[in-house]
Amino acid sequence: MGLQDRISRQLVAAWAIAKKDIAIYYLRPGTIMGGVLFPLFMFLAFTAGKLASPAALIPGLISITTLFSASSIEPVSIPIERRTGTFDRLLSAPISLNALVLGESLSGLLYSVCIASVVFVAALLILRTSIVSIVPIVIGVLLSSFCFATMASLFAAYPTESPGDIISMVNLVRFPLIFISGVFIPLATLPSFGQMIAYVSPLTYANDLIQGGYNGTMEFHPIVDVAMLVVFILIFQVVANYLYKRFND
Amino acid sequence: MQAIDVSHLVKKFGTHAAVNDISFSVGSGETFGFLGPNGAGKTTTIRVLTGISSPTSGTATIFGHDIVRETVAARQSMGIVSETSNVYTDLTGWQNMMLAAQLYRVGRSEREKNATQLLKRFELYERRGDKVHGYSKGMRRRLTIAMGLVNSPRLLFLDEPTSGLDVESNLIIRDMISDLIAEGVTVFLTTHNIEEANVLCDRVAIIDKGVIAAIDAPERLKKTIQSVQSIEVSFSDSASAARLDELRQIPMVNTARKEGDKFRLFTEDPSEVIDGVMTYAQSHNTRVISITTLGPSLEDVFVKLTGLGRSGGGVTAID
Repeated sequence: MGLQDRISRQLVAAWAIAKKDIAIYYLRPGTIMGGVLFPLFMFLAFTAGKLASPAALIPGLISITTLFSASSIEPVSIPIERRTGTFDRLLSAPISLNALVLGESLSGLLYSVCIASVVFVAALLILRTSIVSIVPIVIGVLLSSFCFATMASLFAAYPTESPGDIISMVNLVRFPLIFISGVFIPLATLPSFGQMIAYVSPLTYANDLIQGGYNGTMEFHPIVDVAMLVVFILIFQVVANYLYKRFND
Repeated sequence: MQAIDVSHLVKKFGTHAAVNDISFSVGSGETFGFLGPNGAGKTTTIRVLTGISSPTSGTATIFGHDIVRETVAARQSMGIVSETSNVYTDLTGWQNMMLAAQLYRVGRSEREKNATQLLKRFELYERRGDKVHGYSKGMRRRLTIAMGLVNSPRLLFLDEPTSGLDVESNLIIRDMISDLIAEGVTVFLTTHNIEEANVLCDRVAIIDKGVIAAIDAPERLKKTIQSVQSIEVSFSDSASAARLDELRQIPMVNTARKEGDKFRLFTEDPSEVIDGVMTYAQSHNTRVISITTLGPSLEDVFVKLTGLGRSGGGVTAID
């Protein structure tokens, strides 16, 4: 079996897993709460009553939407599938752990892209927000969705059958990220240790790309943002792989 | 080439060896039963053989593919039916079949053909468009097995295929297993139903405390404990527990137990015990309705090898 055939086989399996998640989990209450309502309420909590233009607020809303929606599927799906035994079906299929993690992450990625697109189009049509360039926004949403979905897959490796356990762990990371990644509080106004932490937050680079698409000003060069997000994706994928192997052994 | 070849397999959790240096092989086309009490190491062995867990030491190959180094290739020729009916209840029967086929990369036309054939064979085709949460327990079990066969496996792992099922599902599944055996599929069967293993398997292995206590054809295993012969007898009046104690007093009866309206007397000398039973019937003004000499069953072998005792007049659970 050639390399191309092996890769194709793994991609087909990953896509089958993603389709299964789309059919089962997209409309679950836990997913809608974590992926749609949570970022909306967070956004309103930070922006209600402030005299800021929509153009200044929408990039932040898109950033936290990608963070929450991309990481809302796996913390629900994987523990439930452990409980029902269906996760063992995936673990024993002729696919690599990479394909399994990729498939689980793909469903989060697509969910996030759909919701971020709704926010983007609604802001464009209803609030008449203007953008400088759509390219960094698209790249930012795609890469950050992939990154946060893979991060959620990593947390979901923890061997529990309760979605609440994983959601709690993911929230321990998601909430601090909002404050230290320049979404609502500009990086320049953070204390120096806060800025140091911001550099190790993938949301910092995702938000920077999306902000750049809206207002043209960026903290980092776009290549740095893209490279950092790719590095985070790879780290999360490798660590997730390791944890699934370790916890299922 | 052997379907399964296990050599000095050890799987430890901390210092506890769940599987301790087991070796066996299963020939292509063979039906192999894997029996043992709970906690004996059956599930751990299956998890290693299916590549979910890694062995601490030793090797296992599936049709020549090492399960650790060539996991994907080894799994490609397997079908796995786990003990729980692990189907997606929010998907339809058809969607479940398609998902299983895609995971095994069965081509589109082949997977639709296989799914149609299997769903018809398991009498689920008419309900293929219904979500599985509306299926009965037996239907879910049948769907689980159909999903395990969708890639036309050469080796099928069947873990408790008929446990707790209604008669109809039981018959459908047993017929299917017989058909698979006739088609030359290698079957690795784990079951608590020892009679099922006795009827279906070419060979059985009995695992206890992580080691294989015996491995052979069911009839040859029974011959190893020929001393465990028994007489099954029923009387014209009630089969009371008090009578059990009286029957135990008959010379040459090693032990006795009540089985429904009958008594089973274990002995090394059946003819002597038959005489004793007749004398007992006469002296107690009762008639013998039936009396049968029985050889050791596979269950007797299992009980002897695993040390699972029987207490009082009842049978201690062996699962």
